Amino acid sequence: MTSDHALVQRMAAGDERALGELYDRHGRAAYALACAIVGERADADEVVVDVFGQAWRAAAQFEPARGSVGSWLATIARTRALDLVRARGRRSRALERAAQLSVESGGEPADRTVERTEARGLVTRALADLPEPQRRAIELAYFGGLSQSEIAAQLSEPLGTVKTRIRDGMVKLRTLLGGDST
Amino acid sequence: MTDHEWLALAAPYALDALDGDDRAAFEAHLAGCEQCRVEVASFREVAGQLALVAPAVEPAPGLRDRVIAEARRVRLLASRIPRPASRIPWLAAAAALVLALAAGYGYWRERGDRRALEQAVLLARDSLAARDSLLNAVLAPNVGTANLAATGKPPSARLFWNPARRVVVIAVFDLPPAPAGRTYQLWGIATGKAPVSLGVFNPGPNGRLTTALAVPAELVFQVTAVTEEPAGGSPQPTQTPFLIGEVRRSE
Repeated sequence: MTSDHALVQRMAAGDERALGELYDRHGRAAYALACAIVGERADADEVVVDVFGQAWRAAAQFEPARGSVGSWLATIARTRALDLVRARGRRSRALERAAQLSVESGGEPADRTVERTEARGLVTRALADLPEPQRRAIELAYFGGLSQSEIAAQLSEPLGTVKTRIRDGMVKLRTLLGGDST
Repeated sequence: MTDHEWLALAAPYALDALDGDDRAAFEAHLAGCEQCRVEVASFREVAGQLALVAPAVEPAPGLRDRVIAEARRVRLLASRIPRPASRIPWLAAAAALVLALAAGYGYWRERGDRRALEQAVLLARDSLAARDSLLNAVLAPNVGTANLAATGKPPSARLFWNPARRVVVIAVFDLPPAPAGRTYQLWGIATGKAPVSLGVFNPGPNGRLTTALAVPAELVFQVTAVTEEPAGGSPQPTQTPFLIGEVRRSE
């Protein structure tokens, strides 16, 4: 199978089919992430179109040394989704959704691809292995787009405590996830 | 800060959770610290995997077509941009940015009253009403905005363009005053055309400035840039812009 990176290179050369294939591989993941952050399906559509539009325009600047294509797309999707949430002034609802994520992760329909289901199981288990306060702080940062001091305010915890939780939680996640997913 | 303390910032940085000052300081440190860069990269992969926790939702079948249509539209836009003349190489950078424009930001051709505009600009200079005027210019519907940055590092600027009033408000951050006999000049650049001056400005010793500048009649621009020029400004830029940004329509 063509590698993701090869697809991105073909996109940089203007190959539309490569874009379609990249969407087939990563569109669902981007859509799921967008939905988790923005909530509304119509907004998630907009985010996904934006994400692949940006990937199309910036394909030539993609640097494989900085991470996988999947995490590149996820970064764009997260940023665009959080921008949209902020632009619409819906931050508090986004935070509620962020808080709901781990609760929901149990009983949802299976993903289409086996790899994604497996990878997802691994991350969900790793997150579940973290002490609750660490997991919560990390989820608020990632899905809620909050900074450390905003998380401290949100949870009414001292900033130092939040910093320690995020650091310790991320170190543990890195160990559990084996460091490399590319 | 000790090496150990810097390294401790890698995880929150990769999660995009550092507060502004910490982030700026850490980014400056990152530029010269390979160990921290490696650490950030490994945490970035961890953060990237968090995306997988999002519950699966099946996208609408039409979404793929929309994605492809967007790419076609971008290409069409790109094909309309003439090759930049080599004697103004930095226009190439501007053209590249235009490529990055997702269209649909639209063109605004509303015609404002010239006198009202000049008045607004005068007011915007020093009186108490200046704040109101700036605020109204910025908050009006259809205001275009642009973030001008030098690859994410300071200085930076934010531009608000109110086409109805033909005025731009620019807020500059972390920009030292221009050297003696020099000034900063703001440019509006329409796709494939030569830059048009939007005026000159000079921040105070604190590196900050918010000011209103008049936009020439009929000028519609998609890219905005700042250069350093001889006092009084130049008819055309003589330097490579150190701040550049694309104009977007506000939500």
